[in-house]
Amino acid sequence: MDGFDMMDSGTEGPTVTIRKADSTRADFVLSNVDLAFANSIRRIILAEVPTLAIDLVEVINNSSVLPDELLSHRLGLVPLESSNIDEKMLYTRDCDCDGYCERCSVVLTLVAKCTGDRNVTVYARDLAVAAGAQLGSPVITDEAQKGSIICKLRKGQELNLKCIAKKGIAKEHAKWQPCAAVAFEYDPHNKLKHVDYWYETDAKAEWPKSANAGWEEPPQENEPFDYNAVPTKFYVDVETVGSLQPDEILRQGIKYLQEKLATVIAGVQKTAGEGAAAAAGADVGGMDDGYGGARSPDMGDANGYGRNFNDGYVTPYGGAGGAGAGAQTPFGGYGGGGYSNGGWP
Amino acid sequence: MADHDESLPDAPEYATSNIAGSEPSDDDEPLDLTHENNAKIIMLGTATDDDSCASFQFENEDHTLGNALRWIIMKNPQVEFCGYSIPHPSETKMNMRIQTYGEITAKDALIKGLADLRDLCDVVTDKFIAEKERFVAEKGN
Ligand SMILES: [Zn+2]
Repeated sequence: MDGFDMMDSGTEGPTVTIRKADSTRADFVLSNVDLAFANSIRRIILAEVPTLAIDLVEVINNSSVLPDELLSHRLGLVPLESSNIDEKMLYTRDCDCDGYCERCSVVLTLVAKCTGDRNVTVYARDLAVAAGAQLGSPVITDEAQKGSIICKLRKGQELNLKCIAKKGIAKEHAKWQPCAAVAFEYDPHNKLKHVDYWYETDAKAEWPKSANAGWEEPPQENEPFDYNAVPTKFYVDVETVGSLQPDEILRQGIKYLQEKLATVIAGVQKTAGEGAAAAAGADVGGMDDGYGGARSPDMGDANGYGRNFNDGYVTPYGGAGGAGAGAQTPFGGYGGGGYSNGGWP
Repeated sequence: MADHDESLPDAPEYATSNIAGSEPSDDDEPLDLTHENNAKIIMLGTATDDDSCASFQFENEDHTLGNALRWIIMKNPQVEFCGYSIPHPSETKMNMRIQTYGEITAKDALIKGLADLRDLCDVVTDKFIAEKERFVAEKGN
């Protein structure tokens, strides 16, 4: 293996260094990858890792001061335990049932009534998960073990709700976000000049140093600008809402990125049998000439047609295990074609 | 929510007639993220006869795939140019242009880029898992 130095810097290839990690945070440095790739990971863990969230609420009784819609919205935002959701649940759209069933949803009930003179506060812990559900219990991290406040009830007021939680992604609604925040920084000393600092008199004096500044050499006095330099170190801090562990979010994120790739590969490949062999150099003869395919009007195509080689026929590459499953790639093994980057800028 | 429409089959391409009175509006279409509908890819017209240059259009893809794929395709020394754009923010389409030096077709370069990026993902996953184990072990001591 020639090592295939994809990275512009050094020879060691991608590196991960975890700086801090617990059940809700993962602070790590991703090195020797491109900005585009690091950003893809950031984007995908923010928006495309599925979790469970309440999606439908059947209101049997709500005499609280909150309207049904507002209450439903608040319930949707309650983080629910979602680990290994892919192995346990289907999307409702992929399920055979009408509406919802136990394979594509988790039912939580909320029954509360205020009978005394003191107001009752309804917390996330009061959501009762249906017996036998493998996931979906409300995430409770506070010391008092109550979870977030859903609503308050005065004497005589009552809630009786059936909440149907479904699998979804944050691209559709932010309630499915597994991450509260993903901090992402590179080049803390601004050597690459990707940032143009605003200042009164002196940018150096007025702008505080980044917490990551200690991880990189500060620029020398009068150091010439290196116009060939590219960012190579990315400081990422994944902060979860509690529905998934940070390392699961990351692993799932990369898996979904690979699934995207696999779907495209499958779209390019013609026959089902080739799906697994979708590596470089696989048959490329499966393209159909056919009229069709939406095009942006400004895409110049003198012939006036687009060639559609998807043909409505898609091979889910690798199946449920995800594209990466089984495709163990020891470091250095990627770039199957084996071209080397020697001397290439 | 979006469920009512989910079981409907996709409209055929170039569906010409809408039954009067039941005009389905594009706005009501649910965000369709099923595997079958994700990342449909079509090839736009080529500029050369030898297929060394081509434009591809990805359905339901954005910068998440586009930028990383563009970068890894550009890493291929047989590729002269690769760029991507999202022509309009309210169309979920991503266009990618690939021009090679002629030794391979643009489609080969695309397939190779996809495979390379997938392998890179494997490497980063492995590195992350290994580092996580090291971190946990170190913390345990
Ligand atoms: Zn179902």
